[in-house]
Amino acid sequence: MVAENIKLAFSSMVQNKMRTLLSLLGIVIGVASVVAILNLGESVTDSMLESMASGGLDMLTITPRGAARETEIFTDEFSDTLMRNVSGIKTVLPVLSSIAVMRNGQEILSGESIQGVTSAFFEENSLELSDGSFFTLMNNINRRQVVVLGKDLADELFPVGGAVGSYVSIFRNQAKSYLVVGVLAEKDATLGVSYNYTAFIPYNTYEQRFSRVTQVSNYIVKVAEGSDALSVSDDIESYLDVIAGPDYYMLFSPATMVEMAGEITGTFTAFLAAIAAISLLVGGIGIMNIMLVSVIERTREIGIRKALGATPRIIRTQFLVESVILTLSGGLIGILMGSLLSYAVVSASGWNLHFSLPAIAVSLLFSAFIGIFFGYYPAYKASKLDPIDALSHE
Amino acid sequence: MCIVISFEDVRRYYVVGENVIKALDGISFDIISGSFLAIMGPSGSGKSTLMNLIGCLDTPTSGVIRIDGETLGDMGEDELALIRNRKIGFVFQNFNLLPKLSALDNVMVPLLYRGIPLKERKEKAEALLEKVGLGDRMKHRPTELSGGQKQRVAIARALSNNPSIILADEPTGALDSKTGDQIMELFENLNDEGRTIVFVTHDRTLGARCRSSISIRDGRIVDGC
Repeated sequence: MVAENIKLAFSSMVQNKMRTLLSLLGIVIGVASVVAILNLGESVTDSMLESMASGGLDMLTITPRGAARETEIFTDEFSDTLMRNVSGIKTVLPVLSSIAVMRNGQEILSGESIQGVTSAFFEENSLELSDGSFFTLMNNINRRQVVVLGKDLADELFPVGGAVGSYVSIFRNQAKSYLVVGVLAEKDATLGVSYNYTAFIPYNTYEQRFSRVTQVSNYIVKVAEGSDALSVSDDIESYLDVIAGPDYYMLFSPATMVEMAGEITGTFTAFLAAIAAISLLVGGIGIMNIMLVSVIERTREIGIRKALGATPRIIRTQFLVESVILTLSGGLIGILMGSLLSYAVVSASGWNLHFSLPAIAVSLLFSAFIGIFFGYYPAYKASKLDPIDALSHE
Repeated sequence: MCIVISFEDVRRYYVVGENVIKALDGISFDIISGSFLAIMGPSGSGKSTLMNLIGCLDTPTSGVIRIDGETLGDMGEDELALIRNRKIGFVFQNFNLLPKLSALDNVMVPLLYRGIPLKERKEKAEALLEKVGLGDRMKHRPTELSGGQKQRVAIARALSNNPSIILADEPTGALDSKTGDQIMELFENLNDEGRTIVFVTHDRTLGARCRSSISIRDGRIVDGC
């Protein structure tokens, strides 16, 4: 019976091509916009994730806050302590930082960030050079006065170039000359972290020249491969809450940011999709309209079918199948158009295309639901027609 | 001989505004299996109302109608549909074929509603179309058939569920006299095979060809045998 009904539905759709197309338009536009919005939403989230991941999704930063008490906890040795107590950590890099004045001849820059880092820092942060080299493990051990400059910093200190191999003065209590060994490649700020205006000197050099206290400015924690950054971040948090207390540190995790950003785009996408779904409702009313017209047009057919022994249920099913086939076709066309649209937008904007399979599945289910919901009344009306009146209908 | 249909003091009243129209006002008769009965009467006599009641398209205001011993009175829509499907074969003046379906598909519709599987449906419908002389027209749509051919398809369709009674409402009314004659012959042949046929007409000459007749006027039987 269902096979016959589907056949019938298609034959009546084909018979009124223009009308079918026009009545489907609402559903097509509705489904297309829902699918496009959800596809684009996922694509944007994906691209965001990727750009954040390039900035090191597996990097966490612990920054001690306050004073006094923490200096006893957040020392050089804390790196090892943390690694011993929390699993899933590849390495912990302590970073010392402060603000200093730098000078090269006539060029004087104040308020620039100086960071004392170990040579592993560059590699773990995936930093790249535009010129020269990074300082080495031996430079650190020997407390050499060498510096790696951020791109913009190098450009301002050395407007005519030739930074590598030159000396730059860094003032802190007293001026010291540092040999520029490398200049970083320009890097876009991801999550607000950019090293374009930072000068890096070996950790031990910094310790000796700049600070008498042993408090580390921050720790960069690299999560081990295969471990989940979010859960490692949670573990570190619970560990630090116990040993330092929640008010005495800040934990910055790009993974947390990504999660938050994902939630925000998710909410936004859902909101847009809900608006688009309103056009599906309008489309559904269009379907109801056309089905009511169809019932009136086919009153005589209904009468004949009833005379031949069709029960109200059979008639109702016939019209319901027809409206579901109608809306499902609209849904399929809509999915196709929505996908094409999102493909076009994504190609133009250079994101990664991500087809939202749940969106497609839900759209199909929803269009079938619209067919049933808005087709029910016309189908019910058809099933309740009096056979004698229906047979005499012209 | 068994009784296929019996009417016992059947009345059918319509309320139109403040007036009650007594379309049928106390009708009793039996139709015996294998008969070829003409129901005659001018328009407005209650002929159509009677036909609708025999066809189970309508239920009486009062009185009892039995088909094959089953009382129609207290049946719901579904049961009436079932009776129409199994026991009644309709043949209409204007054919009433489903325009989108082929001759074969039209004949298959009552079988479909009965729940017969596709293969069997097809075999039965093909055999019936062969029987009415349309073996070469099975795939044609109603618009591609002549009036006489359409009525043959309708007769094949009426026969498809092997009903207790063929109910024909002016089946030759839309046909020229020669074609009408052929259709009449087909009915006569079917009756010879033992089919019960009820033939509703206002045409006395056609009525005379039936083996028995009832005449109604103003909702009552005025002449019958």
